[in-house]
Formats: sequence, C-alpha cells, structure tokens
Amino acid sequence: MGGTIGLNVKRKEAWAKVTGQAKYTDDFPTVGHYTARLLVSPYAHAKIISIDKTKALSIKGVKAVITGEDYPNLSGTLLVDRPILANKIVRYAGEPVALAVAVDEAAAALAAAAVEVKYEVLPAVFTPQEALNSTAPLVHEELGAYVHMVEDINPKPRSNISCHFPVRKGNMAEGWRNSRVTIEQEFFLPPSDHLAMEIRTARAEISKDGMVTITTSSQAPFEVKKQIADCFQIPAGNIRVHVPFVGGGFGGKAPVMQELLAYIASREVDGNPVRLVMDRKEDMTAAPSRAGLSARIKLGATKEGLLQAAELTFWLDNGAYTDIGPYMVKAIASDCTGPYRVDNLHCDAYGVYTNHTYATSCRSFAHESLTFCIERAMELLAEKLAMDPLQLRLVNAITPGQYTPTQVQGSFSNLGNLPACISRLQELTNWQESQPMQITADTVRAKGMACFWKAATPPTNAPSGAVVTFNSDGSLNLNTGVVEMGSASQSHLAQMLADKLGVSDDQVHVVMEVDTQLNPVHYKTVASITSYIAGRAVMRAAEDILEQLRKIGSEALGCFPEDVEVKQSRVFARQNPDIYIDFQDIVMGYKDIFGNSIGEPVLGRGTSMFKGLSNLDPKTGKGRTGPAWTVGAQAVEVEMDLKDYTYHIIGAYSVMDVGNLINPESMAGSVRGGMAMGLSMASRESFSYAKQGRGEMTTPSLRSYKAIHVGEEPVYQLDFVETPQLDAPYGMRSMSEHGIIGIPAALANALSKACGVAFNHLPLKPEDLWRTATAAGAGAKAGGSGAEAAPAPAAAASSAAFTAGPGAGFGEGGGIQ
Amino acid sequence: MIPVNFAYCRPCTPEEAVQSYTAYEKAGKKTLYYGGGSEIISMARVGSITPEAVVDLKEIPACCELKEEGSYINMGGALSLRAIADSQCFPLMGKAVGRIADHTNQCRITLGGNLCGTIIYREAVLPLLLTESEVSLQGPEGVRRLPLQKVFDGRMRLLPGEFILKVHVPKKYAQMPYLHVKKAPTEKIDYPAVSLAAIIEKGKLKIAFAGICSYPFRSKEMEAALNDTAMDITQRLNKAVELLPEKPADDVHCSRGYRELLFKNMLGQVLAELSAGSKAGAKS
Repeated sequence: MGGTIGLNVKRKEAWAKVTGQAKYTDDFPTVGHYTARLLVSPYAHAKIISIDKTKALSIKGVKAVITGEDYPNLSGTLLVDRPILANKIVRYAGEPVALAVAVDEAAAALAAAAVEVKYEVLPAVFTPQEALNSTAPLVHEELGAYVHMVEDINPKPRSNISCHFPVRKGNMAEGWRNSRVTIEQEFFLPPSDHLAMEIRTARAEISKDGMVTITTSSQAPFEVKKQIADCFQIPAGNIRVHVPFVGGGFGGKAPVMQELLAYIASREVDGNPVRLVMDRKEDMTAAPSRAGLSARIKLGATKEGLLQAAELTFWLDNGAYTDIGPYMVKAIASDCTGPYRVDNLHCDAYGVYTNHTYATSCRSFAHESLTFCIERAMELLAEKLAMDPLQLRLVNAITPGQYTPTQVQGSFSNLGNLPACISRLQELTNWQESQPMQITADTVRAKGMACFWKAATPPTNAPSGAVVTFNSDGSLNLNTGVVEMGSASQSHLAQMLADKLGVSDDQVHVVMEVDTQLNPVHYKTVASITSYIAGRAVMRAAEDILEQLRKIGSEALGCFPEDVEVKQSRVFARQNPDIYIDFQDIVMGYKDIFGNSIGEPVLGRGTSMFKGLSNLDPKTGKGRTGPAWTVGAQAVEVEMDLKDYTYHIIGAYSVMDVGNLINPESMAGSVRGGMAMGLSMASRESFSYAKQGRGEMTTPSLRSYKAIHVGEEPVYQLDFVETPQLDAPYGMRSMSEHGIIGIPAALANALSKACGVAFNHLPLKPEDLWRTATAAGAGAKAGGSGAEAAPAPAAAASSAAFTAGPGAGFGEGGGIQ
Repeated sequence: MIPVNFAYCRPCTPEEAVQSYTAYEKAGKKTLYYGGGSEIISMARVGSITPEAVVDLKEIPACCELKEEGSYINMGGALSLRAIADSQCFPLMGKAVGRIADHTNQCRITLGGNLCGTIIYREAVLPLLLTESEVSLQGPEGVRRLPLQKVFDGRMRLLPGEFILKVHVPKKYAQMPYLHVKKAPTEKIDYPAVSLAAIIEKGKLKIAFAGICSYPFRSKEMEAALNDTAMDITQRLNKAVELLPEKPADDVHCSRGYRELLFKNMLGQVLAELSAGSKAGAKS
C-alpha cells in the first residue's frame, strides 16, 4: 500500500476547472452545426388537434420542423411511456411538441415559435391525491400497453398508479397493542429543480455509413447508447456517445432526453451535425425535475420511546412520465422507516402520474423527502413523549443484528454506526442547549436535528469496469466509464489505484471524458455507487497489474513471482530491495542488459458487477436492494423573527459514517454541498403550477424560483465516523449525495421548535410559515388584526438577515462629498 | 439569445437621440430608449418584447451628469444605480437604489431605466417622491422641466419620444433624517414584498412605498394619518392599511396577506423610530 489514502489529494481536474479551461458539451466550436430549438406545450393536459408547420418552414434558414407524428417512438428506462415529442396529447406544460432545425439559433427559435398548434384542453391532475381520485382524468390511457424494461414494476391500467411497492413485517395488531403513545401526520413536499449550473444540451451527427455520434451533458453515456439503440432499432455498436465534463447533474442528467431530440434533429437534416439548445426555462419546465412526495405516517411507541409499530404510506409525484420514478418508490419502500428498528411495519409506496413536469432522480434518490416525513414524525413523537428528540433517536437507532424493513440483517459492515454519529452530533452541536432560546423580545434561536440512512437501489446487475495503461515515464492512465460532474469520484478512484500500486498520486492520470467506444462500460454515474462499483473494478485492474509485474519482475530479477514487491514505482525482490527496476523500465516490457526481451507491456483490466442484490418480494417487500447503508445525523440552528417569520440559518452540522475518510477535504466538500442544497430546497425551492387556466409552471425562471446564494450559507460543522464496509474498496461507503438527506427535516424541526408550530410541508418560506402559524392560531404575535403592532427594537430589525431589513434607525443626511 | 434583429444607435447629444428615435418611428420601427438594457434584454430574450430599434442614452454627457447646481443635486438619467449609491450625494437615494437587484446589475441598471421600466417596483422613485424633486425631460419639442409628481403617477407618464435627461433633487432634503426599509419574501436581494423610504421634515413624517401595491406611491392622506398623534400606533397602522390606494399586491412572489403583515410591521418600526426620535432629537 502506498499511503495516499487519507490525504487531501487535490482533484485531478482542479486546474482545468479553476482556470476555465474545462470544456463542457456546448463549449466546443459550433462551426458546421445546425441548431435545434423546441416548441413546448403551454398546457398541462391537452389534446393536440392540429399542427401547422407552414409558417415555421417559410422562415429563412429553417431546415426542418419535426413533430411527434414524425417520430412516434416511445422511450423510457423502466417503463417505455414517453414520446420524444408529444404525439396527439400533451401531458405537462413544458412538454416538447415540435423541434425546429435551422442554420442558426435565431432562425431555429423563430421557427419553433412560429409552429401553430391547436389544442383542446383536458382536465389535469396536480397532486397525487387528485390523481388517485376515482373520477380523476387519466394521464395515460394506454398504461397497460407499455413495454416494461424491468420485471419488478407493476403499473395499474386504467389508473394513475405507475407502481406499488408494499413492505410487510411483523404483526401490526401486536405493535399497536404495545404502543402507549401514537402519532399520525400527513406530509407534503412539492416538486423542485436540480438547477445544475450547466443547462442540459446535446449534439448529434450521423455519418453516411450510419455511425451515430452524440456529445451530451449526461450522467449516463452507456444508457444513452442503449436507449437510442432501443428506440430507433439501431445496432448499439453504431452509436458512440461522448461526454466531456458535466457541469452538475444531481441525478437530473441521468435520464435520456436531449440526446433523443438531437438525434432526430440530425436525422432530419441528412445526418448533419446539430446542436440542441435548451434555455434555462426549458431546462426547468421541459426537462425532468425533482419529484414531489406526499405521505401519511403513523408511529407507535412505548412510554420509554421504543418504536413498536409504523404504518406508512407514500405517494411519489412522478409527473407525466415514469423515467426512474418507480425505482425511487422502491428505494422509499426499502428505507421507509428511516434508520430505526421497527419490528411491526406496514408500508405502501406508490408512484403516481400527474400533469407536472416528469420527475427523475435528484440527489439522494427521494431520501431527503422520505427523511423529511419520518424525521418530522419522530420529532412529533418526541414532543408527545416529552422526550429529548436526540435520545428518542438514539434508543431506536438500528444496530447490528437487527433487521431492516426489507428484512436484511444488519451488521457494522452494512449499517455503519448510527449511535456513534448521534453521540458525536450531540457534542458538536452542544445539544444540551438545544431548547429554544429567547434572544430579543421578538427573536428566538433553536436547533433541530434529523438522522438518515440510504442504500443505493441500482439494477441488481449494474456493471462497471476499469482499464489502466502505462506511459513511457512509468506513470499510469486510469480509464473508466465514470462521468466527472463535480463529485471528485474519479480522483478518489485514482487515489485508490495509486495506493494499491504503491505509486504516488501524481503518477496516476485520469481520462476525464467518457467515450463509449473507448471506455469500459459503467452503469451510470449515479447513486453515489462510483467508489463501490467502479472502485471494485479499479481494485481488480490493480491486482491484474500487480500479477503481471510480479511475473515479469520474477523473470527479470531471477526470483519467484511471490517474492516480487511493488512499491514507490519500483519492482524488486523482497529479500533484496537494493536491486530494483523502475516502473518506466518494466511497464512497457523489460529488456535486460543483453538486449533480451522479457515479458510484455503491462495493461490492467478489471470489471465488476453488483452481487447478492435481489428484487423485492411483491407481497412482503423482502429483499436486498443495495450492498450497504450510509448513516448519519445532522442538525440546523436558526434564529427566527417571530414578528414576520423570517429567519437566519446560523449553523448546520453533519456527522456521517463514511467507512474510511480517504480524502478528508474533498469528502467534506461533498457533504457541505449536499447540506447547502438541502437548506436551499427546504427553505425556498418549489415548482408551483397555476391551478386554474393552463396549468403552467408559475416559477420557470430564476427571478421567481429562488435558490440559496453565496453569502446566505451558515457555518458548516462536520465530523465523520469511520466504520468500514468490508466489501467496499478501502471500506469507503457511498457518500457523495448524502449531505442533503437530513437537512430539510432538521431545518423544519428547528423552525417548528422556534415558534411552537408544526411545519410539515415544504418549502419553509417565511410566508409559508406565517400561513401555517396563522391557520394553527399562533399568528397573534405577528401583528394580525387587533394585535399590538409591536414596535421592533432596532437590534431585531438588523438581525433579520434571512430577508432584508437594515433600517436600524433614521440616518443622518449628507451632501455631495 | 435575442432571435430578432434590431437597429442600435448610440447618439452623443440629447437632440440626436430624439432625432434618431423619431426617424426610426417614422420608418415604422418599434423603438425604445435604452439605458442599462437589463429589462430590454431579458424581455426580448423570452420574446415578450420585440423592439426593432433601440437608442442608447449612455453616451450623452448630460445623461451621465452627477453634480450640484444651485440648490439642487442633478442626477443624469443614464447614471447607474451603483454610481449614485457610491457617490453618497444623497444618502437616502443611495440606500434605496443600493437595494435594487445585486451589485452586478446595479452597475448596469440606470436611474432612468428603473423609473421608466415595466418592472413594477421602480424603487428609485421613492426618495424623489419625498423631496419635491424635479425632472428634465428631453423630447421632440425640446426640454421641459417640471415637478416629478406631475409626471409620475405610479409610473412615468412621458410624451411620445421623451426620455429622462436629469433628475433634480433639492439639496436641503439630502440633509434630513431618513429611513429606508426593504423586505423581500425570502432573501435579501430580490423584488420587494414591501419597500419604504421616509424622511422627517420639521418633525413630520413623509413616506413613500413600493411593492405593497402594484405601483410605487406617496399618499398625503396616509402621511396625515401617520402624523396624527391623537391616534395610538395601532390605530395609525390600521388607518394606513385602510388608506392604501389599492389592495396589496398578490402574486407569485408574495401573497396579499403576507405583504400586509410586513407592511404593518415595517410601518410600526418607522413609527417607533419616529416617536423615539422626537424624544431623543431625531438621531439613531
């Protein structure tokens, strides 16, 4: 082992990114490219009566105008339910209806806008509850006829239910009998956006001999190849997908959408290169979003707080098409209780079609939503028990030997150590002072916490691979199918390879771009599984290299292969380390002083595939969806102005069991990034849709859709627990997404404590809090009619940093200086 | 990307600007005067306006003037909000424009653009409404100078072809005690839920608002009520709500109810400052 594990190794692409040299999909020259632009539906649900392209085609420079009738092909990763362009019907406002291809972007934009579409508006459904109503309009009339790509989803024809995953365990009657305290509560989270800095885009061209080349901003180049092959009946070998740097994905670039559009655009212009341009509004409304979630949670516990029973129902708002939604529902079912022991469990998780923008994976694969519901419920239970919420979590934390909802027996290896995380959080947050604290007449400080767990839910046979080649200076090139989109996972793989081969980290070069013709297959860069599944492949490639070096080394050094050691870019016999061969003299094959050729160039090769995973039993949910869980405990501290419900997030805390902290700074960066996303999502982000009229998104731009800004973030305090996962390289657990998971719940718990009102809906904008508090009869303090309109002390006004409010007294006038 | 082509010109004198504007209009082109462009560009990008010609005013020296002249401070219509704030020539004005958008945009948005734009808040007008300010308008018939209140009624009422050459603020107002408070629905830099500017002149409160209604306003009736010490603070606040010129705005940014809550809270704060000030001699 070379000792690179545990160091703050700089990420491989650091210089390219900080100097602006890193190239993203739309950064390449556009010379020779046509441009394609979309026309999208203004209606949430409507029949397309007619489409007239005449005017659009008459615009100068326009080469083609494509509609759904031209390409009625359907696509989908689990259920093949989504047209490339809406055909006969639109199912969400923002759905692509026509695609104009022209010599430049201006002509394409004008042409797209000039396509004349007549619609007949249909009634739409906007929440799972509306969609499940027996009289609800059907989002998909032909639900029963769609092709399934996987065997474990079960859409219910003539309904809006796309899937159902039940979990049954223990004896509910006994569970409720043993419960002295119960709580029941409904929760609601709206859909929102991934909001990656790089807008989705793709390019396509088709050579005269039929070779399709796609360049795209995607997390899933191999899935792009597969879906284009399936959708258009093209041999997969004729498709080459190229992915340069990706400017943030967060799960939103795992679906295949822009690539299909770019492909048909190129096909309509004789295979000429086409660049598809989507603007921010289209990226928000047309491309998939984060799913909404509704839930009803019922928990029962003994008077000591030990959970006895849980009855849980989840409805995932999947929008108009399923994409990966059913597997998010499966993930919710698998982890439905949160990281707690619950022996008597009845859970139903449903995927529901609505007329929202279709949804897909978003950082943590619905766990932030699941966790919001469970952790708010735990807080309500703690209140009812008059128990410290941290203690309640501690006594119920799942530990080795106990069983998960889907009846996997826990161990330190597969569960990590949640009690250790909770205890560390207790110290880090100074939790004994977690009770709300009055700061001024109108401001209160409070802390809230939440625990989380997450296992990946990949296909049971998801593959990965690594190829390692050498350079004449003895350095290595690491080549995987992993997309670099900011998580530093390629750099972590390089760190593992360097350590395993005993070379210094700077000797490993990483092939950053993915080209499906060159790189070994990798399922998708999703689910934080890179360090595990690609890591296993890299470890096997390293073993392969060591074996080859031992063989050549034994011949060159005249010793047994098992005596050969590889360290510090040298090969030597253990018993005689003074005589060694430098890597550069052996990795290309060895030549001795007599000119004899010994061995051959070294090439490392490793592949891997998930093992031991299973589908869930359709009746009980029994099964194993992922190799292991990552657990953690998080907290948020707020200072709230009770007069207007504005608040300032002053601290955010996270303790996570990462197995092995192989790169402390980069891993802490991932966690902080996740926490920032969680704070942003919970405090302000939501897609809202006009309830009347066309049902369009009312927040389709960054003027109306708010995300957290630089300068609004709190102080982050992190720590880590290291309980190795035995089957993972270096024991490192999945962790890239996980920083987000407990934060929305922790924020809601803090705010609920601060003003004594239960906040069970997201987002937590001051206005939403005011509305909830007013409805709960707690709004009197907030200057409602008849209330003393409390004159604010100057200190309170100036501390309201979440919103505005300098206004600390009348200033003195002045003149021109 | 703006998909339509349009003519662009950048004249050096007010007369040339008007001539260009008139010539374009005469040729049948939809023409706009162009300040910082933040609104024109963003609206043209989404296709909600399709100008065929724009006349950029930023090269006209008079429009970029910032100086004292007699008993007035003159501010050119093409001055950036940031330039006005940084000059500290009129602290209340600096506070008001220094809270419009972010620093990057303040360096682009002009005084004239903010006053004449279609975005409803026009917060730069608040200090001007309190200070008997005047405005010089350049039009095809030449320049006319008149009290701002005569041409501002929620928005600028300009004649065809007119643009704001300069704003004139009486210097004496720059010396008076003032207060500016802005609250946005979720974050510091955003459109206001409620924004207010106030000064105290001879012990009396003068106050103007943006955000609470669909246009900025100053109401003499409301000021009279707020200065009426026969009423207690709660009564004055309730009266102020009654005297709003229209129901509080209700839109995707902020609901009517929450705006009203913020309005009352913020106004309560102003009245508290006022009474504290009258006891302690109008000093913060």
